[in-house]
Amino acid sequence: MKELPEIFKILYDASLEFVVIGGAAMHLQGSAYVTKDVDFCYSRTPENIKRLAAVLAPYHPRLRGAPADLPFTFDARAIAQGLNFTLTTDLGDLDFLGEVTGLGFYKEVKAAADTQIIDGIPVLVLSLSGLIKTKKAAGRAKDLYVLPELEGLELLKRKTGVE
Amino acid sequence: MTPEQRKLAYELITNPPAGSKLAEAKEWGVDLTLLYANLERTPSERARSFASIVHSYNGLRDAAKKSTLSQ
Repeated sequence: MKELPEIFKILYDASLEFVVIGGAAMHLQGSAYVTKDVDFCYSRTPENIKRLAAVLAPYHPRLRGAPADLPFTFDARAIAQGLNFTLTTDLGDLDFLGEVTGLGFYKEVKAAADTQIIDGIPVLVLSLSGLIKTKKAAGRAKDLYVLPELEGLELLKRKTGVE
Repeated sequence: MTPEQRKLAYELITNPPAGSKLAEAKEWGVDLTLLYANLERTPSERARSFASIVHSYNGLRDAAKKSTLSQ
């Protein structure tokens, strides 16, 4: 997997509208939790769908877990016809979600995000309150398992004022 | 973290207020010192540490696979 700042820079330079969500957002917000993939919520405007297809094309995106001979091209048409994509790319395992459980689409997810400056680049990262909301809504064992940590971390950051 | 923030954070993780979400997290088994350590980092440092942890995990997983296959 490429370093997160490198991945963010590639997406930022392509003017992609995205919010970091999931385990990567948890880690960026201060959690000790780490996942193997990086999750993003992306805007589904036609322009952004084109940008997403173009920016990932050099990194050979393919559907994670799908048979190698399954015909699939991650182009604007495929993105427009789908919604959530779990991909393996040369950058690492990247998931692009059009909708996030408990929050909604890009507009709502963006409204629940904080801007973090990572290696000089402004990156939207889902806030702790947003993460808590989506984990509660998803309600799977793995989501509920991390809730106490997220809620404790939220209190710790609120009391100390640490970003 | 400023020295004041560091001091307050350390007090909170070593002695979480009873009934608070921090106390619940500790009781749940969350290692609060790891949260403290991660908050000591800047967002850029956290971003870089993410990939290095994933690489360490993948290295361990691959080593375990090789070990299982050779048995």
